[in-house]
This record gives sequence, structure tokens and C-alpha cells, in this order.
Amino acid sequence: MLGEAEPQWLSEEVKTGTTIIAIEFNGGVVLGSDSRVSAGESVVNRVMNKLSPLHDKIYCALSGSAADAQTIAEMVNYQLDVHSMEIGEDPQVRSAATLVKNISYKYKEELSAHLIVAGWDRREGGQVFATLKGLLTRQPFAVGGSGSSYVYGFVDAEYRKGMNKKECQQFVVNTLSLAMKRDGSSGGVAYLVTIDEHGTEEKVILGNDLPTFFDQ
Amino acid sequence: MSRGSNAGFDRHITIFSPEGRLYQVEYAFKAISQSGLTSVGIRGSDSVVVVTQKKVPDKLLDSSTVTNMFHLTPRIGCVMTGHNADSRSQVHRARVEAGEWKYKFGYDITADVLCRRLADISQVYTQNAEMRPLGCCMILVAMDPQQGPVLYKCDPAGYYCGFRATAVGAKQTEANSYLEKKLKKKPELSHDRAVQMAISCLASVLSMDFKATELEIGVVTKDKPKFRTLLEAEIEAHLVAIAERE
Repeated sequence: MLGEAEPQWLSEEVKTGTTIIAIEFNGGVVLGSDSRVSAGESVVNRVMNKLSPLHDKIYCALSGSAADAQTIAEMVNYQLDVHSMEIGEDPQVRSAATLVKNISYKYKEELSAHLIVAGWDRREGGQVFATLKGLLTRQPFAVGGSGSSYVYGFVDAEYRKGMNKKECQQFVVNTLSLAMKRDGSSGGVAYLVTIDEHGTEEKVILGNDLPTFFDQ
Repeated sequence: MSRGSNAGFDRHITIFSPEGRLYQVEYAFKAISQSGLTSVGIRGSDSVVVVTQKKVPDKLLDSSTVTNMFHLTPRIGCVMTGHNADSRSQVHRARVEAGEWKYKFGYDITADVLCRRLADISQVYTQNAEMRPLGCCMILVAMDPQQGPVLYKCDPAGYYCGFRATAVGAKQTEANSYLEKKLKKKPELSHDRAVQMAISCLASVLSMDFKATELEIGVVTKDKPKFRTLLEAEIEAHLVAIAERE
């Protein structure tokens, strides 16, 4: 094999394999993500925080191409900075989600990233929006990324309306744990962000502290 | 050729007069005084304060929608003096410039850089024939992460500078002399002293006793570095403190 090309990870696009999830409770939202960034078969970053702030009380979860997702998040962060100054108050979660959706839709052929936008504002409380491929829809919870396919059954069965903050946090951690075990492109640690009227709390749960299930 | 060939247009657009003056820029300064308001800014040892008059000329006006104090970023605030519309235009530009800086360079813009940027933009208006200079003056205040409390002013000529204290508007000459006298001995100004000195300056040059509803006060302090405007009750407390000292 003369002239073996450069290592695969140099030519493969860097994707955030990923499992991301966001869920709304009465008074706020919980967002969760894994931390693995892969380029083909190699793990380029095993501790990346995929929960990116768009504003004080609005976060987004990144999935798909790492560069595309980060760029969209940074652009929307910039637009929200100016927008919040102009309106003189914190922006609505719907505004942030609309800004993300507009970029995702306009450049849908060039970009391959899916961002879940979630946060708290004083008009509508906690809200979760999915913006896959340029659509905008508000949902009680949303999952995304390659790992999400392995846990649709779990989230559909386990979700109950009216869970409180602690139950939502546990739900998120359980979902991430299961997805990270089954999806090769998800893993590492779990990042959790809880947003409510009083503030934003970021937490990391290390790999060995994640809940274990049947075969572990 | 002693008169030059500008045929008397030197007063109409921003080109030099034979004496080397830019009449349009000078007229812009006069426009600032037209609004009839005066604003004062004072830098204390751990805070910066800006005070301006709140005049609501029409009884039908909703006074809660009238303001000359603006947030440019969460940490940088400003008071505008002069033409209202020009003021809003400059404030909007400042907000966009600050947002772009953060997006491009990844950190919050500082007050001195933002002031310089606005001054550079104002300078362009003094050279372009198709745009007139803006008839407003901006005083910026912030807690700089390195330098502590800072007070900057930029004017229609494109000049900008940092100040210990400054005044702009109809009575700026009198107000500036008052401030020079009070700050001659370079006193250490606490936050309360700075607010009260600013209010007293305005009261003295305008020969008015203010009510809390006739003033707007914006502050940044070391413990609360985000720019905020004082509530009516807080202004009232300062007015009472001034009255008690006298």
C-alpha cells in the first residue's frame, strides 16, 4: 500500500456524534449532552461541552457537524446581544429559536447541524424548541444527535407530564447514560444545564457517576 | 487666490473655510445646546455617575417612555445630550459596534475602545459632503476590568477623551467650572458623594431645586458593575441627603 494517505481523522469531517436532550418543567428547562467529538473513528475531544449559551437564560444543544453547530450558536449569540440591548430586556426563547431556525433554513444545503434551543423567559416560562433542518417547533422535550435513535423508546415510555425539576434532571441523566452506552459516537461525561427564573446552573457528571442499568 | 474657490459653501457642507474652520462642525455643537438640557458625569474612586435633567415638555407625554440614558452593553452605559433622533442613531450604532466586536474578537468591548470607534465614525461625517455631523454628544461610563471606573466623552468633531468629570449641554461652561473647582483638590469620592456632587452641580448652574422626577441618574459601581439607572426612591434619598448636609 504505497502512498498510504494521511490518517483518516485528518480527512474526516469533525462531527459531534452526540446525544442531546432538552426538557421543560414548570418554571424552567433542563438541557443535557454527552461530551464526545469524533472525526471518523477517532475521538478528537472526549470532554467537549455541547451546551452553548445564547444568552443568560437561553442555551442551545449542539449536534451534527461541530464547526457548523458552533458557528450558528456564535452568530445567534451575537444577534441576541444586540437585540437584548435594543429591547431593553432579556430576549424571548422563541426569538433565539427563530434566529437559529432562520440560519438553519437559509443555509440548509450547506450546513449539517441540528440545534435544540431551550431556556426560560418571563412571558412563557420554560420552553424547548427543535430546529431540525430549518423547522421550528415547540415541544415538551426534544432529543437529538446520533445517540437519540437508541433512546426514543425509553423517552417515549418514561416521559410523564408535570415532572418537577429533580425528576427532569434524573430523566435527562438516565437518557444520556443509556444513549452513551449504546451509541459509538456518544460518550465521555454528561453535561447538565438547569435554567429557571432564579438563574442558570451548570453541572458535570463524570462517566463513573452515571446511573447504570441492566447489563452494567 | 487669497479667498479660495469654495464660493461661500464652507458654511453649507463640511469643507474648510479660509480661516481653517469647519463651520458645519461648529453648528453641530450649537445644536447640542438647542435641546436645552445639561448632563454631568463624575468619576469616583470606585464608581462612575452620570446625571441629566428629565424635562417632559408636554403634559400628555408618558414620562416613562422619555429617557436619555441608554445601555450599550450590559456593562457600558451612556447619557446622550442633544438632538433626540441623532442620539438614538448613535446609540444604535454603538450597540451594533459593541456586538460585532464581541463576535469578532471573543471578549467584551471596553468603554475606551467603543468611544474611540464612535469618535472615528463621527470624524468621517466631518469629511464627507453627503452626510452631516450628528448633533449630539455621548458620555460613556463603565467599570473597566483593568482600569476600574472610567468616564469617556465623544463629540461631533470626532474628538474623544477620558475625564475625571465633565459636563455637556446648554450650561456646560458653567457646569465645567463648578466641577473644576470642586475637584481641584482631587478628593476621594465615594459613590454617594459622587452622585450628590453631580446633582449639586446641576442644581447650582441651573439654579433649580430638583424633584426626583426631574432627574435621571445612571451609575456603575464596583459591587454592581452593570450599568443601571436609579429608581425614583433612590434619587429621592440622595436629594434628602443633600438637603440635610446644607
